[in-house]
Amino acid sequence: MNPLATVFPPNDFALLAVIVGLPLVGAFVNGVFGKRLGKEAVTLMALSSVGLSFLASVATFVALRGARAAEQAPRFVWQGWEWMRVSSRLDGPDVPIAFDLSVDPLSGTMILVITGVGFLIHLYSTKYMEADAGYHRFFAYLNLFVFSMLVLVLGDSLPVLFVGWEGVGLCSYLLIGFWFHEDANAAAGKKAFIANRVGDFGLLVAMGLLVYHCGALDWRGIDAAAHNLLVPKQVWPIGTHVPLASLLPDSAAAWLNAPRYATGATMVGLALLLGAAGKSAQIPLYVWLPDAMAGPTPVSALIHAATMVTAGVYLVCRLSGVFVLTPAAMFAVAFVGALTALFAATIALVQNDIKKVLAYSTVSQLGFMFLGAGVGAFSAGFFHVLTHAFFKACLFLGAGSVIHAMHARIHGTEASQDMRNMGGLRKFMPVTFVTFAAAWAAIVGFPLTSGFFSKDEILFKAFTSSPQAPLGGSMMVGGRSVELFTWPEWAPITLFVMGVAAATMTAFYMTRLIVGTFLGDFRGWTVVPGWKAAHGHGDDAHDEHAHDEHAHDEPGHGAAGREGPEPHESPWQMTLPLVVLGALAVVAGALNAHALFHSHLLDTWLEPVFQGVEKAIVVKENSKALELPLLVPGLLAFAAGVGGAWWAYVARGGEPMRALAERVPGLHQLVYEKWRIDELYEETFLGAVDALAEFAVWFDKWVVDGLLAKLTALLVAGGGAALRLAQTGRTHAYAALMVVGMAGLGWFFTAPHAQAKVEANHDEGRYVVSAAPGLGYRYRWATAEDGSWASDEFGAQAKVELSLEVGTSRTVKLAVENAFGRVEERTLLLERPRPDRSGPGGATTIEINRGADGRLEGQVAPRPIPSGAFPGPLGSALRVPPSFPVPGGGMPAPRGAAPGGPVPAPGVAAPSPGGAR
Amino acid sequence: MNLLFGLSPFLAVGVGALLLMLAEAFGKPNVAPGVETTDAGAGRAGELALGAAVILVIGAVLSVAVWVAGPESLPELTQVAPHLVIDKFTLFFSFTLCVGGALAALLAGGYLPEHGIDRSEFFPLLLLSTVGAMALSAAGDLLTLFVALETMSLGVYSLIGLRRGSPRAAEAALKYFLLGSFAAAIMLFGLALLYGATGHTDLAGIGAAVRSIGSPGSTVSAGKILISLVLVLVGLAFKVSAVPFHQWTPDAYEGAPTPAATYMAVAVKSAAFAVLLRVLLVGFGDERLASWGAGWPPALAVLAVLSMTVANLVAGRQESVKRMLAYSSIAHAGYALVGVVAAMRSPEAVSAVAFYLLAYTVSTAGAFGALILCGSRGAEAVSYEDLAGVGKRHPAAALAFSLFLFSLAGLPPTAGFFGKLYVFRTAIDSGLYTLAILGLVNSVIGAYYYLRVMVYLYMREPAPGAPRAVTMRSGFVATALVAAAIFVLLLGMAPGFTLDMASGAALTAR
Repeated sequence: MNPLATVFPPNDFALLAVIVGLPLVGAFVNGVFGKRLGKEAVTLMALSSVGLSFLASVATFVALRGARAAEQAPRFVWQGWEWMRVSSRLDGPDVPIAFDLSVDPLSGTMILVITGVGFLIHLYSTKYMEADAGYHRFFAYLNLFVFSMLVLVLGDSLPVLFVGWEGVGLCSYLLIGFWFHEDANAAAGKKAFIANRVGDFGLLVAMGLLVYHCGALDWRGIDAAAHNLLVPKQVWPIGTHVPLASLLPDSAAAWLNAPRYATGATMVGLALLLGAAGKSAQIPLYVWLPDAMAGPTPVSALIHAATMVTAGVYLVCRLSGVFVLTPAAMFAVAFVGALTALFAATIALVQNDIKKVLAYSTVSQLGFMFLGAGVGAFSAGFFHVLTHAFFKACLFLGAGSVIHAMHARIHGTEASQDMRNMGGLRKFMPVTFVTFAAAWAAIVGFPLTSGFFSKDEILFKAFTSSPQAPLGGSMMVGGRSVELFTWPEWAPITLFVMGVAAATMTAFYMTRLIVGTFLGDFRGWTVVPGWKAAHGHGDDAHDEHAHDEHAHDEPGHGAAGREGPEPHESPWQMTLPLVVLGALAVVAGALNAHALFHSHLLDTWLEPVFQGVEKAIVVKENSKALELPLLVPGLLAFAAGVGGAWWAYVARGGEPMRALAERVPGLHQLVYEKWRIDELYEETFLGAVDALAEFAVWFDKWVVDGLLAKLTALLVAGGGAALRLAQTGRTHAYAALMVVGMAGLGWFFTAPHAQAKVEANHDEGRYVVSAAPGLGYRYRWATAEDGSWASDEFGAQAKVELSLEVGTSRTVKLAVENAFGRVEERTLLLERPRPDRSGPGGATTIEINRGADGRLEGQVAPRPIPSGAFPGPLGSALRVPPSFPVPGGGMPAPRGAAPGGPVPAPGVAAPSPGGAR
Repeated sequence: MNLLFGLSPFLAVGVGALLLMLAEAFGKPNVAPGVETTDAGAGRAGELALGAAVILVIGAVLSVAVWVAGPESLPELTQVAPHLVIDKFTLFFSFTLCVGGALAALLAGGYLPEHGIDRSEFFPLLLLSTVGAMALSAAGDLLTLFVALETMSLGVYSLIGLRRGSPRAAEAALKYFLLGSFAAAIMLFGLALLYGATGHTDLAGIGAAVRSIGSPGSTVSAGKILISLVLVLVGLAFKVSAVPFHQWTPDAYEGAPTPAATYMAVAVKSAAFAVLLRVLLVGFGDERLASWGAGWPPALAVLAVLSMTVANLVAGRQESVKRMLAYSSIAHAGYALVGVVAAMRSPEAVSAVAFYLLAYTVSTAGAFGALILCGSRGAEAVSYEDLAGVGKRHPAAALAFSLFLFSLAGLPPTAGFFGKLYVFRTAIDSGLYTLAILGLVNSVIGAYYYLRVMVYLYMREPAPGAPRAVTMRSGFVATALVAAAIFVLLLGMAPGFTLDMASGAALTAR
């Protein structure tokens, strides 16, 4: 259950602060002084900060391994400072929100990727962005991104993760819109920002629920208290019944009104899934990622392929202790992942923009990771995060290199990224081609490459494992047994088939991509016919040509077009990262090559993180035996995809696909236009938002401005006039008001205030009435049924106790005499309701939701609840403050609400007209 | 020696004030050759401001030092009790007061020369008034209480009237003086009655006498106690400028030189809250008075709600930023009063009020300072219109202004957020739900007029032909703003240390 619960010595691992701090320093220096520093200094600053951070990460990793080898718990903590404390309930335990960092094998591996791949991409960018006017700005953002991402991964609690989460979102926004003078880029940035906000909402909700249920926000606290999430909550109907349901036929109304329950874990899991889907571009929030390719290509490689978009997977892995408690949320995670993998792959089949293909491919691969995490194979999902970071970063950087080369000939952004203008680049840029091919081999699942192993692992796990329902699948709610969600029989095979189909398509479109880009003849000559000198034409002229369909070869332009610069290989700063990443893409599979080599390096390494949760996953009995046979569908997917694409695009020169597109033009167009999901959202959500906005405008204009504002203005003007009357500037008027204030205070302190509070115990029929204290107060009481005073004299007795029969009521009178001899009386009505709660006057309507024996029902292994606190149906935690109702004079009253034990009788305290004598 | 150490914050500021007075009187005027002056301090505002600020910072540092050493481990301090009670509560407040005074001194160092108010007695007066304020926060006896209150007030009366040529300043000073004397007289009457009723002048003795009421053989009259409570409350409510004893505030702030207004807003108010807490909890801490029945909490709750609501409503309608800040200070008195009410049940509320006042001190001093920075000689920024477009022309000044307004509005991650959070939270913990909700609602209303300043700073352009505010350049003001900004951010992002200190400063009611 709790992988991190073994006791660790408190550690002060300040290296974490260094890892996080260096990129922040880089961002600060480059952001504030970058303009004055000059390009070399900016480069040095950016590279050294991330590079040193990488070295520190390596040291941390080595230390983690050392701790592991010494059989200590591999977890280091750096305690920053405590920001604040919140409490889960009014008198619940305090939940500290502290800026603490921690590292364990999971985050230790992530920081290697972030800083390592980050450094390579920084290096690459020094050339890619060389000519850009915003050079220092770019590197400031990039460093800030690395900082935020490290905070996200190293944060020891959800709030710190959230700071990083928002930070990477901000950097993503800034970098997508880096070339913000083009509207489309700025719009893409906004789209990413808004889609992520939707997800962030989920994360915030999850945090609130976790504080409420677990009373903790740090990883260990959540894990330790995760069992508290197994409290069933009625989620439907909201309130007691569905409004207007009574208008329906009885059976339908009964169905609608039937209470439905979800455990806290399910709610947290679904909320987290929403957050993760936003950041990791899953259905339904994936739409921002393809547009995000408007940013510079290194950004796409770093943020939108290797690191930030995997934050959602990281979150699911990190809180795996919560997810395994809720098969329902796991089911949602797995199916969202599988659907996304499949759906995005179909779109990638027909795109022509090289970066768009890679973008949809990223969405699809992220779906694979979710699929893995969803079936409970967290380490398999994370393995794919790792391999994907290598091969997808390599692919993006390769694409960047291609675009960089194409820019030598073609200046339009779209045209230089269009595969129809490429082809044959193998000849011009051999290094890029070789590395690109390596990464291609990995993503299509070429045997023995990293992608082969990681994808196969996910498919294997999808077929063989599924989460089991906790508590044997049912729990008691209000005395009734409620079935918990369990995975249906058909789920594993469905997920497996979806995964294989997506893998086949992946192999197909990636082969199409590499064939279209690197093989065959270069088609770019024809894009700019007659192109002579770099400055001969304005960009517009190029674009015009570029947009034309020049798929066929025009012989007339052939020779003339070859004039001018050729596409060329990129400088070493760009090819070195390609080589490193390409090599990693090929060999990184060795980390976890179960099926063939029984290599379990990564699984073993991550074991302390996931050891508790994997107990909650059911694995098919014969899974070991299935491991090799299940390689076959994966291999077939690879063979079919690659073979099909080879046949269609190389052997037949793309003819079959054109024919196919012509046979079903509607479908082709639909897929090409990305299933028109953007348009769907436009029509539905944005339409709804627009309608809401229009309504808001209307409301604002007529109701707020017209009615309320006029009314308020009138009131405020009246009030202002009155107050201005008071604020005359004349000193004696001021003094007069002070005298009025003094008179008010004097009135209050010289008048008696007869108030009383009732502590009622309806079950036993005992009622204690105590009068509010006051300096110099004396009391007398009338508690008898005939209403006569107990004594003629006032005395010191401030409290009476009486008992009532069931269903009866009694009037109690209290008289108070104060130090000035003034007397006030108060009459209280006490009622003891019948046990069936149909007592007179609906006296028990504020009874809170609890069982007949006064204890909360349906709760499994509850955390000790602080005395007096009650998790009510709406999360209300109630207790009695030692407070009193207030005289009728408009004092603000502290209304203490119902406690667990004595409930203040609601029928009490109808103020009587008796007053001063 | 321990006694001296324990009293060192007070001695440092007091002796410093005297030294500064000597330095002012016997120094050489720093005026252009050929100008005749009889004022030895002429042209020396800068150095005197620096001196005053250094003295006050020393006072603040010594307060922290004694706090760390622990006043309870200095038994000699009982020699001065109950006239001066040196406990952690006192030291926390004297730290706040020194910080507020130092910020005001730095602001004056820039403001006075810029606006041609060449009156260097400002600084000794400021220091002496701060000594009064510190003594007020330490007063455990009615005599010290009144003497300290008057020491503090007399200095402030003179500070307001510093601009002798201006009828407005004279009016403001006179108004504050008259009403202040009125309130002080009422309060003095209350104190006399209290002495008459109990035979004690020390608060602890008074508290014991009040507790004895109702027990056999007690001769203390409950009626006299209640009447004296009313009178004392009036006097202290005037000093914290709670509605309806607040009306002098906008007039006095407007007429006063801005640094003097700053000082009144931060130091006078904090000291008054300190003495209010001590009088109520020690002198009137009896269960029958410090409870939600017929005691002072409901009465103060009404004052709190009135202060917040009236001040916020009126502040939204002001055209002068300075007056707006004056009403804002009234509203903040209301928020702090919420904490005072909560103090009837939880000692933690006392720390919440102490923390709140520190946060309020640095935010308000910063906001006034930013307002000073936005204007220059002959073009003092007063109205919202004056601030139009400052965000574009002088981004640093606008940024600082925004930060302090955020803090006053209570947005995270600033000091003001935590101040409000803790005050309202202790109110909720004490069961004062209605009061906490009214406070929250009022914070939202308050955000309106704070944000309005930002609208003018960033989204408006000055009307064509209208005079443009030109920001002044002053190292003093800049230093004050940077220091205040550091406080605001530090208290907002890492409040733990200060909160720990504040929670050490709790007084217990009984």
